[in-house]
Amino acid sequence: MSEIQSAIPVEKKKRVIVGFVCERSIPIHDMMGPHKALADDPETKIIILPCSGMVKPTQMELALANGADATFVCGCAMNDCHYRTGNIMIRERLEGERNPKLRKSTDKRKVGMFFFTMKDKRPFLDALAQFKASTEDL
Amino acid sequence: MYKKFLSLTKNLTVSLEKGLNLFTTQENNPLYFHGALPLYTFWFLIFSGIMLWMYYIPTLDRAWTSVNYITSLPVLLKDANGQLLLKNGIPVVAAISPATGIPYGAVVRGIHRWGAAAMMITTILHMLRVYFTDRHRSWRWLPWVSGVLLLIFVLFVGITGYLLVWDARAYSLVVSTQRWLEAVPLIGQGLSAFFIGGDAIRDFTLTRFFFFHIGGATFIFWLIWMHFIRLHEPVVTPSRAVNFLTLGFILVAAGVYPAVNVTNDLIAQYPVLAGDKGFIPSDAPAQIGYLVDVIRYDAWYLFPYYLMEKVGVNWAWIILGSATILLFVAPFYPKDRRDNIAEVVEAKCTGCTFCSLDCPFEAITMQERAPGSKFKLIAVVFAPRCSECGICVGACPFQAIELPNTHSKTIEADVLALLKTGAQ
Repeated sequence: MSEIQSAIPVEKKKRVIVGFVCERSIPIHDMMGPHKALADDPETKIIILPCSGMVKPTQMELALANGADATFVCGCAMNDCHYRTGNIMIRERLEGERNPKLRKSTDKRKVGMFFFTMKDKRPFLDALAQFKASTEDL
Repeated sequence: MYKKFLSLTKNLTVSLEKGLNLFTTQENNPLYFHGALPLYTFWFLIFSGIMLWMYYIPTLDRAWTSVNYITSLPVLLKDANGQLLLKNGIPVVAAISPATGIPYGAVVRGIHRWGAAAMMITTILHMLRVYFTDRHRSWRWLPWVSGVLLLIFVLFVGITGYLLVWDARAYSLVVSTQRWLEAVPLIGQGLSAFFIGGDAIRDFTLTRFFFFHIGGATFIFWLIWMHFIRLHEPVVTPSRAVNFLTLGFILVAAGVYPAVNVTNDLIAQYPVLAGDKGFIPSDAPAQIGYLVDVIRYDAWYLFPYYLMEKVGVNWAWIILGSATILLFVAPFYPKDRRDNIAEVVEAKCTGCTFCSLDCPFEAITMQERAPGSKFKLIAVVFAPRCSECGICVGACPFQAIELPNTHSKTIEADVLALLKTGAQ
């Protein structure tokens, strides 16, 4: 009986990852599928913003508190923000070096940050897959 | 069409930088410090320039010798009365022992020369990068316009540096400049006289060029201040790795390629130098009235003179003038739609200053509230400087500043809606 059970493919639990992505970093508009999800990864829902520096840590906390399995922000390559400092600001906020910071009670393992250029679609998807895998058992 | 062109150039630029990212980290990619590098190399010029200044003598008969003395190169010989020794009407030069020169003088001069080349190269690189990635328009017009002025002054100071050496090339450049200025209608003669400080080239002319060089460099500092005035925490220093890389390049260039040049013409003209090829100066000493047939043009600073030689004075004016005008008007076209300027919600603003401190373009100032208000200060957005980036929104813990088309409440509602629908 147990052999039969193990032969039945177990449907993987669908997770929800909420990403806040700067429209000037990775080519996010080209990567979108239906329902505000990534075309290659329907589990990952995307909010597109003018700059990663606009993301409030409270918005990421809101996502986690309301059922998101993980959340991340993606900005321009470090030192190359279109608006000069947006990626630095959000990195410092998420690392707790600049106000407003993430709450101490937030599980920081579920909070990711990536910084890529508009030519980095593949590196972004790889980094995202790695981040998702790291949060799977949390 | 124009926007498509900018999009294409941005693609190419980012591809190039991505290529370099394969060899370095994002944090140490030199191309990401394109703005800090010209200022960093400027410091090399200031310090090496001060050291050269200690030995430079801005007179017609001693300028060439004083520059060469610094680098242990041949100097002009004088008789007992202090008059230049002439042979067939040509000044007599003699090699001096390296021991009598200034220790490491050649290296310092090399740093000044190659530092100047590095500054111009990095300035042009910075300008192209900013233009190609469309970071020169709209709220960025002041950094761009002051940047164009900086480019002009870097060019001007660099050219005056070539004149101070007072070799045959310098004299030819002075004559060319006078021709160029004289071509200006009505005031041309006056400009030419202003340039050399009178109706003829005298000792005072070199003193004047020296003033142009030092004064121009000082003015560059003021322009840099203008360039930075609307940028919050401008990046003025590259990363440590890029610093050492730049320093290494300049020092190696100064050591391997000193600011001297061996020319066969010079050896033929001054046989005494033939046996001392390693220490032959960039060119023969200047002689008033004697123009050399071939001038070695520096690609970074002397291109206006090359252009003048190829197309004539009037066309050079037209080409360089048009290019300058195009550079000055570039940030004003095409106009952006400005419909998402940050707005302060007065009732929620506590005057905490977070938005003002984080705004990358100095668009938010804190002003005093009316007496009796609950809070002392209120944030005020200066619309022409707002980039609509929303960094102030991210900085505000009280939702007291918002982009009207990208409201925090809308974002939060979107987040909740996405979570409600889940993975589909």
